[in-house]
Amino acid sequence: MRIQKIWPLFLILSLSILSGLARAEEIVAITNVRIVPVVGNDIEKGTIIIRGEKIENIGPDIVIPQGAKIINGQGLTAYPGLIDGYSQLGLSEIGSVQATIDFRETGRINPQVLATEALRPDSMHIPVTRSNGITAALVAPSGGLISGRSGLIQLYGWTPSEMVIKAPVAMHVELPAARAGFRRQANQPSEGSRLLDEVRELLDQARWYEKRKIAASKNKLIPFPEFDEKLEALIPVIHGELPLMISVHSASDIRSAIKFVQEQKVRAIFYGVSQGWMVAREIAQAGIPVIFASLHQLPPSWEDGYDALYRNPGVLRQAGVKIAFSSSSASLAKELPYHAAKAAAFGLDKREALKAVTIYPAEIFGVDQLMGSLEKDKLANIVLAEGDILELRTVIRHVFIRGQEIDLSSIYTEYLEKYKKRVEKK
Amino acid sequence: MRIKKIYLLSLLVCFFLLPATASTGPTYAIVNCRIVSPPLPVIEKGVIIIRDGLIEAVGIQGKIDIPEDAQIIEAEGMTAYPGLINAHTNLFLEAVQEPAQQAPGATRPQAPAERTPTRPDLQVLTQLKPRKSDIDNFHRIGVTTVLVAPQRGIFAGQSVLLNLNGEKIEDMVVKNPVALHIQFVTERGSYPNSLMGTMAYLRQSFLDAAHYAEHLATWKKSPRFLVRPVYNPFLEALIPFVVERKPVIFTCNNQEDIKRAIRLTQEFKLQAILSGANEAWRVGEELKAAKLPLLVALNFRPPTTSIYATRGEAIRRQAEQEIYPANAAELQKLGLTFALTSLGLSDASTFQKNIQQAIKAGLPAETALKALTVIPAQLLGIDSFLGTIEAGKIANIVLCKGEIFDPKGEIQKVWVDGRLFKIEKAPEAKAPAAFSVAGSWRVTISSPMGEMEMTMELEQEGSSVRGQLISNYGRWEIRGGQLSIQELTFTVSIEIMGRTFEASFQGKVEKETMEGTVQIPGGTADFRATRIPRSL
Amino acid sequence: MKRILIFIFLLITSTGFIYAGGNLLLKNGTILTVTRGVIPRGDILIMDGLIKQIGENITPPPGVKVIDVSGKYIIPGIIDSHTHIALAGTNETGSANTAEVNMRDVLDAEDTSIFTAISGGVTTIHTLHGSANPIGGQNITLKLKWGKKAEEMIFPQAWPTLKFALGENVTQANRQLSPGEERRYPASRMGVVAFIRRELERARNYLAEWDRYNELKKIKLLNRPLLPPRKDLQLEVLADLLRGKLVARCHSYRADETLEFIKLSHEFGFRIACFEHIPEAYKIARELAAEKIGISVFMDSWAYKVEAAEGIATMPAFCTQQGVLVSLNSDSNERIRRLFNDAAKAIKYGGLSEDEALKLITLNPAIQLGVDKYVGSIEVGKHGDLAVFNEHPLSAYTRCDLTIIEGEVYFDREAYLKERQEAQKASPRPKATGGDQ
Repeated sequence: MRIQKIWPLFLILSLSILSGLARAEEIVAITNVRIVPVVGNDIEKGTIIIRGEKIENIGPDIVIPQGAKIINGQGLTAYPGLIDGYSQLGLSEIGSVQATIDFRETGRINPQVLATEALRPDSMHIPVTRSNGITAALVAPSGGLISGRSGLIQLYGWTPSEMVIKAPVAMHVELPAARAGFRRQANQPSEGSRLLDEVRELLDQARWYEKRKIAASKNKLIPFPEFDEKLEALIPVIHGELPLMISVHSASDIRSAIKFVQEQKVRAIFYGVSQGWMVAREIAQAGIPVIFASLHQLPPSWEDGYDALYRNPGVLRQAGVKIAFSSSSASLAKELPYHAAKAAAFGLDKREALKAVTIYPAEIFGVDQLMGSLEKDKLANIVLAEGDILELRTVIRHVFIRGQEIDLSSIYTEYLEKYKKRVEKK
Repeated sequence: MRIKKIYLLSLLVCFFLLPATASTGPTYAIVNCRIVSPPLPVIEKGVIIIRDGLIEAVGIQGKIDIPEDAQIIEAEGMTAYPGLINAHTNLFLEAVQEPAQQAPGATRPQAPAERTPTRPDLQVLTQLKPRKSDIDNFHRIGVTTVLVAPQRGIFAGQSVLLNLNGEKIEDMVVKNPVALHIQFVTERGSYPNSLMGTMAYLRQSFLDAAHYAEHLATWKKSPRFLVRPVYNPFLEALIPFVVERKPVIFTCNNQEDIKRAIRLTQEFKLQAILSGANEAWRVGEELKAAKLPLLVALNFRPPTTSIYATRGEAIRRQAEQEIYPANAAELQKLGLTFALTSLGLSDASTFQKNIQQAIKAGLPAETALKALTVIPAQLLGIDSFLGTIEAGKIANIVLCKGEIFDPKGEIQKVWVDGRLFKIEKAPEAKAPAAFSVAGSWRVTISSPMGEMEMTMELEQEGSSVRGQLISNYGRWEIRGGQLSIQELTFTVSIEIMGRTFEASFQGKVEKETMEGTVQIPGGTADFRATRIPRSL
Repeated sequence: MKRILIFIFLLITSTGFIYAGGNLLLKNGTILTVTRGVIPRGDILIMDGLIKQIGENITPPPGVKVIDVSGKYIIPGIIDSHTHIALAGTNETGSANTAEVNMRDVLDAEDTSIFTAISGGVTTIHTLHGSANPIGGQNITLKLKWGKKAEEMIFPQAWPTLKFALGENVTQANRQLSPGEERRYPASRMGVVAFIRRELERARNYLAEWDRYNELKKIKLLNRPLLPPRKDLQLEVLADLLRGKLVARCHSYRADETLEFIKLSHEFGFRIACFEHIPEAYKIARELAAEKIGISVFMDSWAYKVEAAEGIATMPAFCTQQGVLVSLNSDSNERIRRLFNDAAKAIKYGGLSEDEALKLITLNPAIQLGVDKYVGSIEVGKHGDLAVFNEHPLSAYTRCDLTIIEGEVYFDREAYLKERQEAQKASPRPKATGGDQ
C-alpha cells in the first residue's frame, strides 16, 4: 500500500477509535469561568458547553442544556490544552537505561521509522505532563541525518491507536548543532550544506524510484524497482505532502537550509534555530515556521550573548515568523509553558507566547480545525487553571481531553500520598 | 635479501669508523668592533681575542695586543654581543608518544611513588638527538646556549645546559643537571588524572621525600631498634631538590599555575624558578611579593583558560597581537627579574620575531638583551663563565651588523666555545610550493623482506628540497629534492662499507603524511612517512 | 607569631569583615527580605559592603552611587550550594578516596559560567568535587565577584566541607567497560559502605599513631630513635573530619543508602551538613528532620538514572513541611541561572509560601554552608548581596537585571546590552539580518 495515501486514513481511523473513548454524548458545562480562547477576545466571565468530544458552545451568556454536569469555574481561567512542538514522550523512560529509549535508531538514514509505532502509553511521564495542562505533543525520533517520522499524540489513551491524532506529521532531518556553552568557539566549519547535499541526493533517488514505479505500472516490460523502504518513505516528502522538519542551528546552516527547501520545492518546518535571530527576515520571507528546542540551554558562543536563546523567539516573531515552543524532553515535558514565559521575559509578546503553545503548533501540524483554541466545534481539550497558565505558580485544577475529564494523579502524587502515610501514623 | 645484510654490516663498520675528538680551533682577533655586553659599559671600538674556546682578552682598540697566531676578523661597523642564552627549550627531543595507560583497579591507596611513572631522576641529556638544522636556526638568531628540559610528566626530570657548538652532545654539555622540572599536568588513565590531584600529589611527594630523608638520617645515626628505610628511587631523586634545596623549575601555563607554584614554593621552602609565565603580568603583585625569578616564554597565545581565549576568535586574536606581547614590558615596569625563552614556539625565527614584537610593545631593548644574556646566566648559576664578554669567560659571541634586535640587523658570525660559524642569510622564500615538507619525518620502508624504520630531516626553499635520511646504519644526504605541487622526488646516495648506491624516492605528499616508492638497484619498495611534531 | 595569626584569623571570621566592599544606595524597589516580610517600596543603603540601612526615603551619603530600581524587586543574592563551576576540573578519578585534593588548588576565576550564574542573580556558590568517588575532595564556597582574582572570591567564613558520594556514579553502574577491563572497587552499594568504613578506620588508626608518637616524644630517656609517622595528606583530612573540623556533604539518591551513611556518621562520630540531590528524601523526611541534616536538591530534574526514577517535584515542599532544611541547587552551569524559576515551582508543587520558596535559594543554603550570619536575607549588618528583578522573582516572566555583591555591581543588564551593541559594531562577524541584536 502506498504510504503517502495512508495518513488521512490514519487520521480518520484514529478519530473513530478515539470517539469510542468518550462516553456517548455526555454534556458538561463549565460555568462562571474566565475564558482565554486564544483566537478572538478573552471572555471575563462565561460558559463552555462540552458535548461528547467537542465544544458545543462557548460565550458570556449561554443557556445550559438539560442534564449537563456543572463544573463551577469560579476563580479559574479556561485555556486550550497546550501543544508541545517536539518531545520524546512515550519513547523514553530513564535516560541512562538503553532499554527504555526508543527514539533513536541505529544508522544515519532511517526515514522508514515512525515514532508513534514505538509509543508507550503507560509512560510515567505522560500523567505528569498532562497534569500541567499539556494535552497534545509531537513525539519525534532523533539521531543520524534522517531520523525518521514523527507523529502527534494526545496525552490520554490506553493504547497507541487511542492516542495518535495524526501520523506521520513530519520527516526529521538533523544538521549538527554547534557545541553549546561558551568554552567552545563556534568556529567549526559548518557541515550543514554538505549534509544537505546528501539529503538532496536521497530525494533525487526517491524521485527516480517513483518515476520508475509509475513507468513499470504502465508498461509490463519494465520491471518494478527493488522495494526500498527508505525511498518509499521519502516519496510523500518530494510531493510536498509530508513536511521536512529540519533540525538546524547556525545562521549559515539556516541559510543553506532555506535555499535547499526552496530549490527542492518541499514543505518545511525548522526546529532548534539557535541563531535564527541573525537571519530572521530571511526565514520570514521563506515562509518557514519555526519550532524552538528547549530554551534551557546555553547559547553556542559567547558572542551570541547569554540571552541569545531567550530573545530568539521574540526577534523571529517580530520579523513575522510563525513560531512554536517545545520541551525537547520526556521527563521535563511539563516545562513547556515556562519556555514560552521565558521568551516573554526577554521580548516576546505575552499573547504571542501563549499562541506559540496553542494555536500556532496546531496550525504548523495541520490540526488547527481540531485543536489549538477554544472555539465551537473544536475538540474539547480544555485546561482550567487558577491563574495564568504560563506562570510557574499556577495550579491546574481540571484537564479535559476530548471532553473527557482527566485524572490529574501521577507518580508525583502517588508517591507523595504513600509517604505521607508514613509521617501521619506517628 | 642481500640488501638487508649490507645494512647490518655497515652498522658494525660505522661504529668503528667514528671520527676522533674535535681538534683545537684557530685563534681569532675581532677588531674595530663595538662591544655591547650589559651590565658592562659599552666599548665603542674594541678588540676581542679568542683562543682555545675562551675569551683571552677584551678591551679598547689599541690597548689590547693582537697575538701573532690570530685570524683577524675585521668588524668595522659591527657590534659584538654575548651569545644569547635561551633558558628553556625542548630542543632535540623527539615528539613523545603518550603511552597507553590502564586505569589501575587500585583497592588500596598507594604512596605517590608507586602510583605513577613520573621520573624525577630522568636526565634529559640521555634522550637528546641533536639536529644540525635546529642548531643552524638558533645560530641565525644569535642563540648560542640553550637549556633543554624534559617534556613529559609532573616530575618531568632534570634539564641540561648546552652550548650549540657542533654535532656531538658530549661536546655541548655545559652544566648537567641544571634543575628539576615540575609541570602542572596530569597522568591520564592513572593517578593523578586531574589538576587538583596533581597538586595533592606534589605536596605528598615533597612530604614523603622529607620524611624519607629524615628516616635515612635517623637510621644512619642510630640504626638500632629502628626499621630500616626501604630504598625508594623516586624519593631518592627528590631529596636534593626538596631537602638540599637544589633549583626547581615550575612550568606555568597560566596565571593560576603561577600562583600554585608560589604556594608550593612557600609551603615547602623550595628554591624555585617559574617558567612559561606568558601572562605573568596579571599576577605581578603576587610575584613581586614572592620574589621568585622568571623565565618568560615569548609565546603570545593566550592560554586556553584565559578570559581572552573564551570569548570568541576576535578577542583572542587581539589579545595575541596586542596584549600578550606586552607581558615582558609590564614585568619590567614592576621591577621583576626575568629571562626570555622560546618555550612553546615552533621555530627559532618566530622567537626572533617575538623578541622584536615584545620590544615594540614597550620592553626596552637593553632589558631584552640582559634577559637573554647576563640574567639567565645568573639564574642558572653559570654567570661565572658565561653571559657577558669578559676575559676568561667562554667565547660565545655574536657579531651583528646593526642592532641585534633590529629587524634590519644582520647577524653575520657566531662563535660558540670559540668555534666560528658563518651565518648565511635565511633562504628567501621562492615561489611557494603548495606544501612545505620541511621538518622531521618518521619513514617506514616496506619491502617483501620486511620493514625498516628511519628518520628524515628536510629543508625546503621554494620547490627545492634537501636534507638528511637518518637510519641506524648511517646518515645520508638527500639531494636534488623537488617538490611539485604534491609530488616529491629526491635521491639519496647511500654509502655503506665503501659501496655507494642511489635510492630514488618518489612520493605523494599530504600535510602530515607521505606515501610512495623507493627505487634501488635490485628492486622497488614502498615507503610511508609521517611528520614528527616538534617544539622548541 | 602564631598567636597573632590565630587572633587575626578569628577576627576575620567572626565579624562580617570584607576584603573591600562598595557603597551603594538602591532606591524605590519592592524589597523581599525573606526573614522580615516585604517592604512594598523601599531603599537599601550599603556601606563598605554591608547593609547599613533598610527603609524608605534614605538620603544617600555624599559620593555614594544611587541606582533607582522603581518598579523592580530586590531579593537577597541567590545561593547555589551545589555546583562545579569556577574550577579547572571536577573529579580526580585515579583513586576511590581522594580526600587529599582541594578545590582551592584549582579555582578558575575566568570561567565564563560565573557570568552565566550572575546573569541569573546568583551571588554565592558552594563548588564541589564531583561524585565519581565515595570519598571525594575538599570543597569551597565562593562569592561570584566576576572580574576579580580567585583569592578575592573565597568566602572564608564558610564551613570547610568534604565531599562524599553514594550510588550509581560511584559504582560506575552506567559505564560501559572495554574488553578485559575490570570494574573499580567498590562496584556495589555494599562495597561503598565497606569502603568508607575502611577509610575512616584508617583515619582513626592514623590519629592513634600520631597520638602515640606525641606521647613517646615526651619521654626524655627513651633509648630508641624516634621517627614521626609519615604525614599522609589524605588521612589528615579524614582525621579532621573525625575531629569535627570538617563537615560532610554527601551525594546520595536512594533513601536506603542515605540511612546507611547516617549510621556511618554515628559509628565514627562525624557531622553531615547536607545530603546532595537525594530525590527520595521524602521517604525519610522524618529521619532527616530528627538528625537535623539538611538536603540540597533539584526541583524537578529526574528520571535520568534509575536511582532518580522516584524523584517527585513535591519533595522540596513536603520535606520543608516536615521540618527538614531544604535548599535548591542547580549542579549545572545552565540551570544555575534559573534557580528563581525552580523556587517558584515549590509553591505550585506542595503549597509553600512565597517566603518559604525564596528561602530555598537564599537563607536555607546559607544555613547549610554556615554563612547565614552574613548572607541569605536582607537585614542590616549582613553583606550587601542582592539580586534585582524586573518582575516578581517568582514569576515566570521575570528577568534578572542587576546582581550586586558586597555593594558592588557585578551584573548590570543595561550596561551589558550597551557593551554588546558596541562589540557587534566592531566585530568581524557577519551582521544579522532582521530583528534586533
